[in-house]
Amino acid sequence: MSADLKVKLGPLTLKNPVIAASGVFGYGLELAAFCPPENLGAVILKGVGAEPWPGNSGPRLVEAAGGLVNAVGLENMGVESLIKKVLAPLKKRGGVIVGANLIGHSLEEYLAVAKKLAETEVDFFELNVSCPNLSQGGAAFGSDPELTARLTEKTVRLARGKPVVVKLPPLVTDITEVAKKVQEAGATAVSLINSLPALVIDAKTRRAALGNITGGLSGPPIKPLALRQVWLCARAVSIPVIGIGGIMTAADAAEFIIAGASAVQLGTAILADPRTPLAVIEELETYFKEENIHSVGDLKGTIKGPWE
Amino acid sequence: MADPKITHTEVLSLTQRGGHIFQLIVKAPPGDWTDPGVFAKLRAWAEAPYVYPLLDRPISVHRFSKNGPERTLEFLIREIGPGTSFLAKLKPTDKLKITGPLGRGLLSLAPDILSQPLYLVAGGIGLAPMACVLELKPPKPLLFYGERSGCFQIDRDYLASFAPDFMASTEDGRGYGQKGLVTGLVRKALEVEKRTILACGPRGMLAALAPLARKFGVRLYVSGEAFFGCGLGVCLSCSLPLSDKTRFRLCQEGPVIDGLKVDWDKR
Ligand SMILES: Cc1cc2nc3c(=O)[nH]c(=O)nc-3n(C[C@H](O)[C@H](O)[C@H](O)COP(=O)(O)OP(=O)(O)OC[C@H]3O[C@@H](n4cnc5c(N)ncnc54)[C@H](O)[C@@H]3O)c2cc1C
Ligand SMILES: Cc1cc2nc3c(=O)[nH]c(=O)nc-3n(C[C@H](O)[C@H](O)[C@H](O)COP(=O)(O)O)c2cc1C
Ligand code: FES
Repeated sequence: MSADLKVKLGPLTLKNPVIAASGVFGYGLELAAFCPPENLGAVILKGVGAEPWPGNSGPRLVEAAGGLVNAVGLENMGVESLIKKVLAPLKKRGGVIVGANLIGHSLEEYLAVAKKLAETEVDFFELNVSCPNLSQGGAAFGSDPELTARLTEKTVRLARGKPVVVKLPPLVTDITEVAKKVQEAGATAVSLINSLPALVIDAKTRRAALGNITGGLSGPPIKPLALRQVWLCARAVSIPVIGIGGIMTAADAAEFIIAGASAVQLGTAILADPRTPLAVIEELETYFKEENIHSVGDLKGTIKGPWE
Repeated sequence: MADPKITHTEVLSLTQRGGHIFQLIVKAPPGDWTDPGVFAKLRAWAEAPYVYPLLDRPISVHRFSKNGPERTLEFLIREIGPGTSFLAKLKPTDKLKITGPLGRGLLSLAPDILSQPLYLVAGGIGLAPMACVLELKPPKPLLFYGERSGCFQIDRDYLASFAPDFMASTEDGRGYGQKGLVTGLVRKALEVEKRTILACGPRGMLAALAPLARKFGVRLYVSGEAFFGCGLGVCLSCSLPLSDKTRFRLCQEGPVIDGLKVDWDKR
C-alpha cells in the first residue's frame, strides 16, 4: 500500500507536509530548477510589508554552533511589487500552493498587506509576529498575546476565507498561551519556531559578526528546543501545528510529526542544498512504507516515553 | 544569466602555490564558465544532514581550459577556515560537490571591456579571477597585486606564469614587490596613464579605489565580497547598498558590478 502524505490546511489540501519556510525560498521561482515549488506541500514567500523594507546593514549572516545566525532584517520588495511581479508567474506553473509571510511595524501595516493580498491568488497567509512593534518600543508583536490575538482576528476577517497561519515567536514565557489565544481568534494553524535571538562575537577582534550585532539562530542547534515547543503547543490546541526548526532530514521531519506537528517547514536546510525538501519528501515516503504508516495523521502525536 | 547545475565532479590535481594558497583543478562540469568573475559553490565535506560547516563555500573560477574533449576548471583558494581546509585536503580522483556556474561575470556587464588597456587590481586571494581576465588577452594588461604580509604572497613564479606584467606590494614590506598599499601603486599608475580598472579583493581596497577612479575619470568594475547564504538569490544575505538607495544581491546581480554605483559608506 502506498503512503499518503497529503495534509489539510483549512480548505487547502497540501500534497505532502513539507513546506519551504519564509526567507529561504525567495519569491518562489528562484530555486525552481533545483526544487520545483509544485512538488512541495507549499512554499512560503519572503516576508512582505506594506512598503519595501531596506533590511539591516551587513554582514547579515554567519555560521555558528552548527547553525546560522541571520540578521537580514526582512528586506523585501513590498506588497505592491509582490502582486505585480511575483504571483502571476509563480501560479502559472500550476499546482503551487503559495503562502505569503506578512510583516509590519504596526497593526495597521500588517492589515494593509492582508487587505491587498486577500484579493490575489495567494493561497494562505502566515503572520510573522516576530517583527518589532515600533508603536510599542520595538518589542516583538508576538510577545503580547492579546495584541497577537487581535491581529489574528482582524486578519482572518480580511482574508476572504484564506487560511491564516500564525508563526509564533520562539521566546515567550508560555507559548501555549499565545497558541490558545490565536486559536480562539480564528487562526487556521500555528507555525513554530522562528529563529532565536542570538549573538556571535570573534574573541580575537572582539567584533560582533553581524552588522545588526544580534540576529536569529536557525538550523540544527535549535531543533530540540523547537521540538519541545511544538510538542507543548500540539497538546494545547486543536488546530494544526506546523513544526519548524533545524529540519535537515526526513527523520527530523518525522520527529516533529511524532511530537504533534501536522506539517513541517524547512529553512536552513534549503540554504545548505536547495534540493533538500525533495529528498525529505522521498525519504518520508520510504519511512512511511517501512514503518507501515498510512498517513500523516497516523504518525501525528504518537510520541512515547522512553520505557514505553 | 548562467544556468547553474549541482553536480559532483572529479578532482584532477591540487598544488600548493605558497602563502597558504593552493590551486585546485577539477573536471569542468557542464555550463559556461568562461566569463571572469563567475563563481561556484564548493563542498568537499559531509552533505545531508549538513552539519559543519553547514554551507558550501563560494569560490571564483581561476581559469577554465579546454584541451580537446577535456574541459577543466581551476580554482585558486586560500586556506583560512574550516571549509577551505577541507578543500585543501582534496586528492586526485576525490569527488567534489560543485554548484554553478553562478553569478554575472565581467563580460555580461561590460561586453566591450577587452578592447582597452586595463589595470587589474587584486587584493589577497582576489587574485584568483584575474587569471580568467588575462586568458582573454586584453591589450597591455597591468596587474597590481597587494597582500598584507609577505608570508601570504603567492609564489612569484606561479604569478608570472599567468600575469606577464605585474607589480606587487605588501603592507609589511616583506616578500617581493614594494612596501605599502596596492592602491598607492594604482594611484601612481593612473597619474601616468588612465585606464579602466578591474578589481577584486577586500572591501576596504575596493572602497578606496572608487574615489581614485572618480578623480581620474576612469571606469571601475569590482568583484565584491559578502557572506553568501545561498549564492542563488533567495536569502538576501549578500545584499549591498547602491548610491541610488536601492540594494542588489551580490550573488545574482554581481559579483562583478560597477564600483562607482556602490554606496561604499553603507553596508
Ligand atoms: C563571490 C565570491 C568569490 C570568492 N572567491 C574566492 C576564491 O577564488 N578563492 C578563495 O580562496 N576565496 C574566495 N572567496 C572567499 C571564500 O568564499 C571564503 O574564504 C570561504 O568561504 C571561507 O570559508 P572557511 O570555512 O574556510 O572559513 P570561515 O572561517 O568560515 O570564514 C572565513 C572568512 O570567509 C568568509 N566566509 C565564510 N563563509 C562564507 C560564505 N558562505 N560566503 C562568503 N564568505 C564566507 C567569512 O565571512 C570570514 O570572513 C570568495 C567569496 C565570494 C563571495
Ligand atoms: C536567511 C533567513 C531569512 C529568514 N527570513 C524570514 C522571513 O522573512 N520571515 C519569517 O517568518 N521567517 C524568516 N526566517 C526564519 C525561517 O523561516 C525559520 O523559521 C527559521 O530559520 C527556523 O527554521 P530552520 O531551522 O529550518 O532554518 C528566515 C531564516 C533565515 C535563515
Ligand atoms: S547569497 Fe543568498 S541571496 Fe545572495
